[in-house]
Amino acid sequence: MTPTAIYSKHQDYVQRDVAGECILVPIRRTLTDANSIYVLNETGAALWNRIDGQRSAQDIMADFCNEFEIETDQLVKDFTSLLDDLLSIRAVEEVTR
Amino acid sequence: MIAQDKLTHLPERFPYSCQWEVTCRCNLHCVMCYTDCFNRPAAIRQELSTVEILHIMDELAEAGTLELCLTGGEPLARPDFFQLYEHAIRCGFLVTVFSNGTLITEAQADRFASLPPHRLEISLHGITHATFEQVTQGQGSYDRCFQAIKLLLDRQIPLVLKSTAMTLNHSEILEIKRYVESLGSVTYKLGEEMRPELDGGAGPFQYALSEQALAELNQGDPYLWRDACRRDSQEPPPCRSGMQRFHIDAYGQLQLCSGNRRQSYDLRTGSFQEGFFEALPAFACDWKSPQEPALIRPEMHHV
Repeated sequence: MTPTAIYSKHQDYVQRDVAGECILVPIRRTLTDANSIYVLNETGAALWNRIDGQRSAQDIMADFCNEFEIETDQLVKDFTSLLDDLLSIRAVEEVTR
Repeated sequence: MIAQDKLTHLPERFPYSCQWEVTCRCNLHCVMCYTDCFNRPAAIRQELSTVEILHIMDELAEAGTLELCLTGGEPLARPDFFQLYEHAIRCGFLVTVFSNGTLITEAQADRFASLPPHRLEISLHGITHATFEQVTQGQGSYDRCFQAIKLLLDRQIPLVLKSTAMTLNHSEILEIKRYVESLGSVTYKLGEEMRPELDGGAGPFQYALSEQALAELNQGDPYLWRDACRRDSQEPPPCRSGMQRFHIDAYGQLQLCSGNRRQSYDLRTGSFQEGFFEALPAFACDWKSPQEPALIRPEMHHV
């Protein structure tokens, strides 16, 4: 993760709240991922909700720390892992400036 | 983030999965069909409008429904089908469509390819021209159905092909299954259940196979036989319809399931939330465990 990078959500994913779970549903699925939905945990959902195509990764983490008590190292690790996952399924993309 | 194929931690009662019979109209008149009795202009005029369906769909999305099966009749016989379908996909439902396939042209296959369904299930009731059209009562339906299968496979749409075993096609079932297996990525389902028509008619039952004929059919294939033995050896679990699954008919009536329409809640006049959480739990079902009133109920009072 590049701290100054900005990420935006891809329109091919719909966010659903199902029984308290935050789920990403791909709407242009291929045969290989026809059955997949992606479930975010509480931290993942809170970070996902902050991805807006405007704020950088470090701005999002700063905002997150204002609301939740979390060690910075742990947050960087979690956000990096989440972004890797989201980039791998093309649910987010880095905004070019 | 975890990739899953379905959610596992759901409340005991939650509107997770909906089967929605969006119309009883159909271009075919399959001999064992239970909805064809309402495939008449007067009944069709009573069906939900586009606006009504979209409104109810939004209520389902708000309530958290994830799996949505659009069935009929033939759902593609509705002129607004793709408007409904594409709205459902964009709402984030996992959409399954049950179809006879015969209305799927190249243009429709392209629309499915641009926003693919979770699954598209096509009825394939015969492998020969004669048997297929004896079941569907529709001239040209055989060619159109097989053409649709090709169009959908070319576009890598997740496909299930399925047959209902009956007197007219039982000698072709194993050949149908072999054909489906030869297609590679396609799943095959065999149904054995005949249902009375929605107006109470018993017409479909004249095509039902005897138990012996069904057993002979299943014995012809190791997988069908294994499934049949498993079904026979297990006591069916208590019905859970209405707990996480529910049914909506073409007129907006919320029901426990497609096979039990004795009681309904009208979604045209009431809200889905009220229908699912307040009306549905009181609906009767012969397959549910009887609810025994507790003789003693422990309670705790916090001072």
